[in-house]
Parts: sequence; C-alpha cells; structure tokens
Amino acid sequence: MNSKINKSYFGYLFIAPFFIGFAVFGLTPILYTFYLSLTKWDGFSDPVFTGWDNYVRIVQDAFFYQAVLNTLIIWVISIVPQLIIALVLALILNEKFIKGKHFFRAVYYFPHIITPITLGVMFSLMFDWQTGSVNKLLMEFGWVSEPINWFNSPWWSRAIVGLVICWQYFGFNLIVFIAGLQSIPSEVYEAAEVDGASKLQTAWWITLPMLRPVFLFTFITSVIGGLQLFDAPLMLGNGPDNATRTMVMYLYETAFKNFDYSYGSAIAYAIFIVVMFFTLVTAKASKLKE
Amino acid sequence: MKKSKWFSMMLALVMVLTIAAGCGNNSGSNTGNEPSPAGNDPAQTDTPAGEPKALEGKLVVWTFFDQVKEMGLKFEEKNPGVEVEVNIFPGDQYQTKLLSAMQSGDNVPDVFDLERGYIGKFIDANFIADLSAMGIEDLLKDYIPYVRELGRAADGTIRAVSDHSSPGAFWYLRENAKKYLGTDDPEKIGEMVNSWDKIIELGKKVNADSGGKVFLMQNAGDLFDIGAYNTEPWVKEGKLNIDPKWKTYYETQQQIRANNVDAKLGFMSAGWGNALNDGTAILSAMPAWATFMIDNKDDKAVGKFGMAKSPEGFYTGGTYRGIYEKSPNKELAYEFIKYIASPEWQEYNLGKTGNMPGSGKVYQDNMDTFKVNLLGDQNPMKVYYELVNAMPGIAPDKYGEEVLSKWRKVAGQGITNNTSYDDVVADFKKEVKNAFPDIQVD
Repeated sequence: MNSKINKSYFGYLFIAPFFIGFAVFGLTPILYTFYLSLTKWDGFSDPVFTGWDNYVRIVQDAFFYQAVLNTLIIWVISIVPQLIIALVLALILNEKFIKGKHFFRAVYYFPHIITPITLGVMFSLMFDWQTGSVNKLLMEFGWVSEPINWFNSPWWSRAIVGLVICWQYFGFNLIVFIAGLQSIPSEVYEAAEVDGASKLQTAWWITLPMLRPVFLFTFITSVIGGLQLFDAPLMLGNGPDNATRTMVMYLYETAFKNFDYSYGSAIAYAIFIVVMFFTLVTAKASKLKE
Repeated sequence: MKKSKWFSMMLALVMVLTIAAGCGNNSGSNTGNEPSPAGNDPAQTDTPAGEPKALEGKLVVWTFFDQVKEMGLKFEEKNPGVEVEVNIFPGDQYQTKLLSAMQSGDNVPDVFDLERGYIGKFIDANFIADLSAMGIEDLLKDYIPYVRELGRAADGTIRAVSDHSSPGAFWYLRENAKKYLGTDDPEKIGEMVNSWDKIIELGKKVNADSGGKVFLMQNAGDLFDIGAYNTEPWVKEGKLNIDPKWKTYYETQQQIRANNVDAKLGFMSAGWGNALNDGTAILSAMPAWATFMIDNKDDKAVGKFGMAKSPEGFYTGGTYRGIYEKSPNKELAYEFIKYIASPEWQEYNLGKTGNMPGSGKVYQDNMDTFKVNLLGDQNPMKVYYELVNAMPGIAPDKYGEEVLSKWRKVAGQGITNNTSYDDVVADFKKEVKNAFPDIQVD
C-alpha cells in the first residue's frame, strides 16, 4: 500500500523539473505580461493600473492593423513558393536514380543554419539600390536601364522580405517532406507500378495524399513561425510607409524603442490572439478535407 | 530495490537542481558587476593634513563603448588605490539591460554610460545622482554649452557629464575639391558653402561639369543632422512643436534632391564610404569620430583630406556618464566623473584617440597645435570650435530623439517621393500621435 503511494511521488519528482522551469521561465513572464498590459508603464516609474485602456487603444490602432496585414502578406509571399520548391525538390531527391542526394539535401539546408540577422544584412546589401549586386547584374544584362530603388517600393520591400524567409526555410521543409516521403510504405508504390501507373500519376494519387499529415505539420508550424516574423525584416527596416513592419517588429518598437512596456504587452497579447486565430483556421480547414 | 529507489530519487533531485543551478550560474557570472560592498566604500584614507587624500576602493562602470577601458586604466594609474572594473555591453540591448538593473536594484554599476540617442529617456529617472549638488557645475563652467546642457535634467540639475564633443563639418578629398571647386583651401570652400542657396547653385555646377558623375554632397538627409539641434525641441509643454525652420530645411532638401546636388547615399552605408574615399561626393558631412571610414591603409590618405565649415554647426552622438543614486561608492564615483571632466584626461584622450574635448579650455589650448594626419597642415579644432561653441545648449527630453527619428523617416521618404511639406507633416503627426499618445498633437 505504502509503496504504491511512494511510486506516484517519484512520477511527480521526475516531471517536476519541466514544470518548475516552465513556471519560472514561461508562466510567470506570461502572467506578468498580462498584468503589465493592464497598466501604464515606461520602465522608469512604477506601473499604474489603467484597466483595459491599452486594449481599447489597440482596437483603434491603425498601425497595428497595418502590421497584421503586412505580416500576412509577407507570410503568403514566402510560404507559397517555399512549400512548392520544397515539395518539388523533395520529390526529385526522393527518386532512386538521383546521384548525390545527400549532398544536395545538405546544401539546401544550409540557409537554415545562417542566423536571420546575417540573412537580413546580406539581402539589404544585395538589394541596395545604388551599390547592391542585384541592380548591378540587372543593368549588366541590360534588363533595366535605371537602378530599381527596391526599398522605396512597398511591394518590392515585402517581396524581398518574403524571399529571405522563403530562402531560409525551404531547406527545412524539404527535409520534413523527405522524411514524410520515406515513411510511405513501398508496397503501395509497387502495387501502383504493377497496375501500370505513370510517375506523375503515382505522385498525384499516392504521394500527395499520403503526405497530408506532413503538410499539416509544415503548414501549422509555418503559420506560427510566419506570423512571428521579426529578425530578418528588422534588419531590412520598416520599409516605405511601414510596409514591412511586422506585428512583432511593432511590438519591439513600442516596448523597447519607445519604452512603452505596457502597450507593448497588450500588443503581445493581441499577437497571441491573431496567431491562435490563424492556427485554428488552418487546423480546421485541414480537418474539413479529411 | 531500495537502492534503485534511492537512485531514482537522486536522479530527480539532480534534474531539479540543474535548473536551479542554471539560475545560480546566471547571477554568479554577474557578481563582478555588483557595486562593491559598503565596506570598501570610504573612498579616502587619512593622510597628514594639507595633502590631498589618496583615493581607495573599487568602481564598477557599465558602458557600451570600449574606449572606456582606457579611461579606467588612466584613473587607476592616477589613483593607485582604486580599481575600476569596466563592463562593456555592446549593441542596442545595453539600455534595456541598464534599465532593468536600475529597476531591480540588483547587480547595479556605480557609474554608467548613456548615449545621446537615449539620454533623454534616462536623465529624469530617480536612479541617477544629482551631480550639481556634488559641485559639478563649477567644473563645467568653460564647457562647450551644448555638451554641458545635454546632461541636464528637467529640474535644472546636471545628472550626466561627457568627456567629449562630437562636432561635425564637411570633409573633402583635396584633389577632387581642386578639380571641381577650383580650390582645396578650407576657408575658401567654407565661404563657398556657407549658405544652402550657395550649396544648391554650386552643386548644380559640379554635377553638370562632371557629366552627372560627381555630386557636391552625400545626401540631402545630412540636413536632418544639421537641423536636429539647431531647431526648437520637438515637444514643448506636452505639445508637439514643429519648428518652422523644418519647412525651410525640407524645401532645401527637395531642391538638393531635384538638382542632383546629392549622391543620395545613406550616412555610413557602403556607398557612402566609397564616395567619401573616391571623392564622387565632394563634401561629406560627418562628425569627428567618423574618420575611421576613411581608408588610410599604409597611410595612403595622410594629408589628402580637408575640412570646411558647414552652413551651421552640428554634432552627431555623444557618450554621457552618470552615477547610480544608491551606489555605496558615490564619492569615489564622483571623483571619476571629475577626472573625465578635467582637462588632464581630455587632453590625453585628444592626443590618444583624436576625440574632440567637451571642455572649451582644452579646445583653446590645443587649437593651434593639434593636427590630424589625414588633414595635413590644417588645424581642425579651430573649425570645430567655432561651429560647436555657437550651438545652442538644449537639455534633452524623453521624446526628442524618437520624434526626430520619426521625422527623419517620414521626411526622408517625402524627399525621395517629392511629397509636399503639408503631406509630410500630416503623416508625421499621425506617426507621433500613434507612438506617443501622451504628446498633444493638433
């Protein structure tokens, strides 16, 4: 009897480290942020309780809505080519006759290892309208006569940010897709071969449907990751008319540049709600198809 | 069985402790940052009457700037009983780190640095000691007015002191100036560009003469730096205040851009550095500390540059030093501040790093002798002193720099897109209203 109770204590002990760690480094800041969002605090004096004022402000904040929209636009610009490139390359690299697969997988994964800050700096140098290599190349080939001022156009700026993200993450998604492809049992393919299915038919009717769980995984992670875009766009700046200011950049600017910690906290909660909303939509949409 | 129970319990304990140890390590590695215990405090030891007392104790200094190490070493050299521990936190996160340390009161430095960009946010905080009460005003009497006033809080007391000024002027490659302006004499060039109208006319000529390849200035945006501290504060009595001078600056900037007077290169960008070194932008408006952008490999730029007065004086940046109000070493910290405000340190620093002094006396004493090898025979301090001494002394406030950066952004975009001044002001007001709801905007 006694020993049974003791055993259950061990269980708690073993899971305790995580919960203690989470309570101290996860839960406390989350709750404290919520408390701050109900106050007015510049970091210098003591927080003053103001109730829902910050949330009322955020509902009327056109700049916040713009940041949400920017984030979504940049996310769409980056996710669509990213998943297509990753999938196509995964299908190709999964073929038996391809030589040097491991080499290519490693090479495509490289951008994911580079820190986003470095990527941001690299792309901002490449796309500098006067000294950047991209304009130099375009002019060398005679495709444009005048250098294009990339970062003076809202859509070019967003496209470049999208490109950075796409280039950074397609390798990661590629690896996930390859793992998914390899988990598809070979019997199904053999049966298809016996039935005389072509390569394209196999890909369309077998591979893609069986990859659905993997799709769901990459999609949801990229929704969560994509909506929290921060470091790479930060290095590329806010863009003209704040066209590339994402939600998290807006949070950072408010809290750590303008020292408005309380409103920054409210923005953090608003971002949480936006991310939750889109994650739920994604999850729901993918379930509907099943 | 029992043994394995013990083993699992120990294992669980170890896992829990690992987390705790994580926290412990964190604070442990910072112990060096704690101000020294009060036991060390009495900063001075008794000596026979009449002789200055020898200083003793340990000071902890926080900065983002690596040259502060040298400052600490020189202070130690002068006061053998003192140890100065300099902790450097490079980058933007310094101010957040400083703020949270000051808020919590843990791991706090005795002396800390504040950069021009955010001094206004910190200067009125209750954790910065009042240096006026400690007698600093006397030492700052002959200071450059703008340098002194930037350390003043809203209540009129000095809270921070800088050991340098950051004066700016037009730097130019002599060879190119001779070719396109007809002279490389700093005084003559200074006269040729002493008003914006003259600059625009001259700029048109330079661009035409060079077949569109050479520009008189680096960027119309240079006027933001020049206008920044020659205009009224952005916020007056809680209201947004747009100095009418900004309209004149903006229209000048538009003309500069429209007439190809500027090379449209961003300050400190790669293209900007190239244009400075190859002279495709003849005049580069830059502060004294930016000369590291000049490529002087194997002394190839020695004597190649000249420096002329800009139409108005300006400065860029600056590092200020304050004392933590609750520091147990306040007296010793004050001695350190006194030292950096003294001509002794500033003369040494001028010779060692070329950083311009904050003290007007050091300017006057050295302006006939101090040389920078890039400038050949020219005495830069004369030019700087005249420009910088005439600048208005303005106390910082918590909004100034952030509002200025909004103006830079909106007006900078306006110049590129040739937007009207009224539209720029409307956009600017929107940005300010949103970022700082406390400021009244009409």
